Amino acid sequence: MSDQELIFMSAADLATRMKEKQISPVEAVRAYLDRITEVDGKINAYITVLADQALAEAKQAESDINAGLIKGSLHGVPVGVKDQIYTKDIRTSSASKIRSDFVPDFDATVVEGLKRSGAIILGKLNMTEFAMGDPITSAFGVTHNPWDLTRNPGTSSTGSGAATASFMCATSLGEDTGGSVRGPASNCGLVGLRPSWGRVSRYGVDGASWSLDTIGPISRTVEDCALTLSAIAGFDQKDQYMRDLPVPDYCAALTGDIKGVKIGVVREFLDPDVMGVTKSVRQGVLQATEVLATLGAEVEEISIPLAPVSGVASRIISAVERSSLHPEWLRNRPNEFHHNTRVAFTTGELIPSQVYYKAQKVRTLVRKQALEALERFDVLVMPGASEPATVMNLEPGIRSKEAAVRALTEASYRGLFSLVSGPALSICCGYTVEGDNKLPLGIQIAGRPFDEAMVMNVAYAYEQNTNWHLEYPSL
Amino acid sequence: MSELNEDEIRGLAKAVNIEIQNSDITDISYSLNAMLEAIDSINPEGINAVEPLSVIQKEDKKL
Repeated sequence: MSDQELIFMSAADLATRMKEKQISPVEAVRAYLDRITEVDGKINAYITVLADQALAEAKQAESDINAGLIKGSLHGVPVGVKDQIYTKDIRTSSASKIRSDFVPDFDATVVEGLKRSGAIILGKLNMTEFAMGDPITSAFGVTHNPWDLTRNPGTSSTGSGAATASFMCATSLGEDTGGSVRGPASNCGLVGLRPSWGRVSRYGVDGASWSLDTIGPISRTVEDCALTLSAIAGFDQKDQYMRDLPVPDYCAALTGDIKGVKIGVVREFLDPDVMGVTKSVRQGVLQATEVLATLGAEVEEISIPLAPVSGVASRIISAVERSSLHPEWLRNRPNEFHHNTRVAFTTGELIPSQVYYKAQKVRTLVRKQALEALERFDVLVMPGASEPATVMNLEPGIRSKEAAVRALTEASYRGLFSLVSGPALSICCGYTVEGDNKLPLGIQIAGRPFDEAMVMNVAYAYEQNTNWHLEYPSL
Repeated sequence: MSELNEDEIRGLAKAVNIEIQNSDITDISYSLNAMLEAIDSINPEGINAVEPLSVIQKEDKKL
């Protein structure tokens, strides 16, 4: 088997073939390391590549397989981890100068989960500084979208999306506050799941916003997403907001049978006059709902009247909560931030308490409307963004107040389900052509709190009846 | 709601011991005023009757 065939394999296939001794973990890790050497100069998805450590772990994984010991469902599979997630004795920078020499002395709970499942950590992935929404702020340089190097790979888990889409890891972890897993998935043509708040531990993760942060997988297929989530989900008493609920067998739940499943299409986000959705995105989402209907789902439009203000509430909440985490840095080390991050942190510091509380009250009302919709429907669907990946402006700055207002409006696309705190997944629903490049389009599928299985099964049914996941960027 | 000018923003920052650099003040003004104006315009029915804590909700128990 060629290296290219190996790295283009899904994580699930790779794991199965390793168990059957058709592929060795060492062979897989070497192929991925070669791929990183070949393409990461263009993409800049990795901050730290753990070549020696990954090869040593791969040799151990191979010995284990030969001895009949399979640790778990990701045994020998090379994964990437966003660089705000703690890895013992390995720098965890949050893509900031301020954290550039921070080396944790323990693994985050999600990293422990990956290791327990047998995964091999290939390296730490680039991101926007402190998981802010702007794509140009990383102290380790900008990450590029593999579909078009001039475009935004999706924030804030920029490296997780770009590395997974360009076959520099088999699957990855991102962190989603206001859409930072779903955005890269949408922009890079991947599957990204924001799990329910309380489903996956945040212990050992540099926080962005205590009431919104979640850790989730970014993968090339729904099955890989389910495998990765299975490795990291479950109660952890070190995260005080975890729910002690049983974790279903997510892979077994991928039946592809969605007959009778009730799907609500959120009207506001498909109306160009309300939220500015582009023609290509609207068409991609509507065609996807047609596919779901042909598979036996009952598809109907639903209105969530407050959904269009989700972005304002989620951005205010995250701005305040984020700036409260390390207030000393803004006062003592302001010049070590990227300009745009410093502006965002300062803005968060200056928002009055009553404005923050009002945003939380708006959240309560938005959430109530969405949960009422989810009493009628098993899942809700809508675009992942108003438009495909945009060209990055590499010059720091916000440009105008109007641009800031537009960003708040756009944030509603993913902010809605961040506020709801149930699961929300983005999956590719087609492509559009801009210039010389194809660009992926994303549809979001969101469900009731803790019903990740339903969300992933609807996505799986769609994926198995379309071919979008078989396309890949040429690099 | 009237827009905060740069002096007012610097005054707010001084109150929380932050010194705003000249290179940042315009962008902070855009960002802060956009948020304040946007939230001011959102006044849905029932806003004053809810507690400002959304994360742990009784609705979860039904679902």
